[in-house]
Amino acid sequence: MAYIDYYNILGVNKDASQDDIKKAYKKLARKYHPDLNPNDPDAQRRFQEINEANEVLSDPEKRKKYDEYGENWKHADEFEAQRQQYAHQQDGGFHTSFWSSTGGEGGDAGEFSDFFESLFGSRRGKGSRTYGYRGQDYTAELHLTLQEAAETHKQILTVNGKNLRITVPAGVANGQTIKLAGQGGAGMNGGPAGDLYITFVIADDARFHRQGDDLYETVPIDLYTAVLGGEQIVETLGGKVKLKVQPGTQNGAKVRLKGKGFPVYKQEGTFGDLIVTYSVTIPTNLTDEQQRLFRQIQSLS
Amino acid sequence: MRTDYIIVSEYCEKCHIDPAFIDLLDEGGLIDLMEIDHESYLPIAQLKDVEQYTRMYYDLSINMEGIDAIHHLLKRIEALQEEIFDLKARLRLYE
Repeated sequence: MAYIDYYNILGVNKDASQDDIKKAYKKLARKYHPDLNPNDPDAQRRFQEINEANEVLSDPEKRKKYDEYGENWKHADEFEAQRQQYAHQQDGGFHTSFWSSTGGEGGDAGEFSDFFESLFGSRRGKGSRTYGYRGQDYTAELHLTLQEAAETHKQILTVNGKNLRITVPAGVANGQTIKLAGQGGAGMNGGPAGDLYITFVIADDARFHRQGDDLYETVPIDLYTAVLGGEQIVETLGGKVKLKVQPGTQNGAKVRLKGKGFPVYKQEGTFGDLIVTYSVTIPTNLTDEQQRLFRQIQSLS
Repeated sequence: MRTDYIIVSEYCEKCHIDPAFIDLLDEGGLIDLMEIDHESYLPIAQLKDVEQYTRMYYDLSINMEGIDAIHHLLKRIEALQEEIFDLKARLRLYE
């Protein structure tokens, strides 16, 4: 456990007045507050640090204890041993292989550090003023393969001990977020529950690259098929298809297969295209006979 | 009983918010209150925004004009973040 320099975090001297601390906190909070830094985990982390520093330094009692402890902080080991069991008990809740909850946005101070806990015993302080009414929003990620995202399917998910059955429509996009209204934290003082935001994270696929509803695929063809034309088996999401390769096909030539791409979100039966790029494989390690024949072609051209 | 609106006076009382603040948000066009029989109602869908504006106003000491400006800038940031996300996905095509 590392010592945390709260004065440094707020950028104030050790003899700073309460007014200086308040000013420094407000200035930094305006810079790093999650409300003003959407989708920025670094800002969220900084805000938690600032909040924790303010929690300690703006409270004369806590500040006094921190100043005393700060000088002898290496004795923290004794505290830590006592607290470890408590920490283990705290480590529970919302973990599965697919899901992670980052709790709500909007300036929730969140949990405090182990260092704070070892000094003051509780992970939560008074925090900033809260306007408890609407429940906390939850955010979560659902990881899918490209193939899973191409099919409408149901998933049962456990969120904070509650089972939720959701239908994932075919064609969801990587990074797309859906809102399940009222599935977040419970409201306070009779307020409505928060919402659950699920962001789909679709892993890159080894065969296809997705761009919107179109899929891109690179298919190697041998030199002879490229030169003379022929047939080539190509994989699509729905299975293999046989393509006719035109004679004189260039390396990097593209063929568009209409309707063989990704299903369009919430438009059943509609699909994007599959764009196949041919990559011509040049033969290597030619035998003497092959080299002779190539030279013969060369002399004829 | 409609459940998609909340009564502003009750909300303010429960959350210790000055009702004049909610009126300011309404006047500034940041929220759209509905008034029936001299009672103001807030659509629940806007509650999240109201809470965000409340934090800016009370916790961060940002005035109404500042909140209005931030509101517009946040919309732009979100649009730009989406654009960056799409462009990054497009870039991967060429990597």
